[in-house]
Amino acid sequence: MSLNVDRASMAFSFKGGMLPMTVMELTSADPERIREQLAGKLSQAPAFFQHTPVVLSVEKLDEPHLALERICAVCRAHKLLPVAVRGGSDPVKQSAWALGLGWFPPQEIKPRVLESVGNEAPVERVADEAPPAAIKGGRIHRGTVRSGQQVSAPEGDLVVVGSVNAGAEVLAAGSVHVYGALRGRALAGIHGDHDAGIFCRELHAELLSVAGNYKRLEDIDPQLLGRSVEVQLSDDQLTIVSLT
Amino acid sequence: MAKIIVVTSGKGGVGKTTSAAAIATGLALRGKKTVVIDFDVGLRNLDLIMGCERRVVYDLVNVIQGEAGLNQALIRDKRVDNLHILPASQTRDKDALTQEGVEKILETLTKDFDYIVCDSPAGIERGAQLAMYYADEAVVVTNPEVSSVRDSDRILGLLASKTRRAENGQEPVKEHLLITRYNPARVDHGDMLNLDDIQEILAIDLLGLIPESEAVLRASNQGIPVTHDNDSDAGQAYTDTVSRLLGEKVPLRFHETQKKGLLSRMFGGGRR
Ligand SMILES: Nc1ncnc2c1ncn2[C@@H]1O[C@H](COP(=O)(O)OP(=O)(O)O)[C@@H](O)[C@H]1O
Ligand SMILES: [Mg+2]
Repeated sequence: MSLNVDRASMAFSFKGGMLPMTVMELTSADPERIREQLAGKLSQAPAFFQHTPVVLSVEKLDEPHLALERICAVCRAHKLLPVAVRGGSDPVKQSAWALGLGWFPPQEIKPRVLESVGNEAPVERVADEAPPAAIKGGRIHRGTVRSGQQVSAPEGDLVVVGSVNAGAEVLAAGSVHVYGALRGRALAGIHGDHDAGIFCRELHAELLSVAGNYKRLEDIDPQLLGRSVEVQLSDDQLTIVSLT
Repeated sequence: MAKIIVVTSGKGGVGKTTSAAAIATGLALRGKKTVVIDFDVGLRNLDLIMGCERRVVYDLVNVIQGEAGLNQALIRDKRVDNLHILPASQTRDKDALTQEGVEKILETLTKDFDYIVCDSPAGIERGAQLAMYYADEAVVVTNPEVSSVRDSDRILGLLASKTRRAENGQEPVKEHLLITRYNPARVDHGDMLNLDDIQEILAIDLLGLIPESEAVLRASNQGIPVTHDNDSDAGQAYTDTVSRLLGEKVPLRFHETQKKGLLSRMFGGGRR
């Protein structure tokens, strides 16, 4: 069966993942202005410019054609590695591809509705570095989140009324609340909100992450497994506290 | 209008074909006009379990490709009046199935039958998705082991999104859990997941529980669906399952280790 391919014979496997990623939100398409600003930044925070991967967001620009190649060159000259472009017109998308960059659709503004999930395997997504917005526009999901499903609240909290099964992934800009067993992956504060937390009725999580600080199942104190817990950051350390 | 039921699981070798044959037979024995379709193109074995492999002339792919009519491909079961089998092809490759072709066949069958039972191939790809796409109900076959439960969970996710009902925003596919190859002694030992754990994870209604049974092996070797074996535990468990599918309330059996009574110890009885 396709799911049971002999691991030893595989050259690679695809893994879902959430990587922290810096988004460079362009408000000017002029490579010269970008260069000036970058040069200033570089002298202030040299540590940041270590071939840091960035996503160039052009959503705020209104130009159908961009000097994408020159903008990329300017970035590289300042030790920023553009890996993808977000938003823009079709010609922008085509030239991103021509330059070997990925392209992401513009960040959609999700309507505040209860919606059921799509079913793609957890895919690699890019998290924004924007400052945490006030908690709003959260989402309530009713029912079990099953293996291969991903449910996210790109703004605000995510509430799951049900369990999150192994192989499933739930994520939120704010906190993640699971009124059931958490057996899959839970990521809170995906845009960097350090005050976000994860709450669940029964802890068996494959992965817990708050603002990019994570613990895998094997890092979790076995005493806490099966317990009702709260997961928070304190001093950039992920701490799990039993609620019972 | 027939009800379309897909028997599916994600994982292979868990008892889908056995269950599709047994359920279809049980429905026909209850007087329902039933057809069971093998969607496992390339690995057909429903015809073996149904004992009609020597009567296969045309198959599903022939019908889809217009090489034979549906009536030429349908095989009438030898034992039960109301039962027909639509076999899969052994030789064609899986891509021979098209969505439009499947839709046309189901549309025609739905006029003449009460139940259409679709035996799904393993996996979560095209073949399995085609088998489930038009379903009204799904029987998710699960063995009491972690990998099988995980695969069933994945399939339940697909049923909620990759079916005609889901895409059209209709009432969702009715999901039933069928636990097969359940061995209470091994469950008690902790070698296998128990009923409650499986139900808790999958969180859908339990349609039936089929014990691990010699009778299944015997039945498949003889090409007689195990539902006909009324004396066997598996046969009775499938009969119960069919009753529940028809909306009857039937208590669960075979999920606990037999407490051997004095009589059975004396006569060495018990379940076969
Ligand atoms: N309840 C059962 N007890 C014992 N063996 C079983 C049982 N159900 C299925 N099997 C055996 O398991 C194997 C796989 O069954 P099958 O129905 O072909 O599975 P699938 O269609 O899911 O691949 C067969 O050898 C079958 O006889
Ligand atoms: Mg099979």
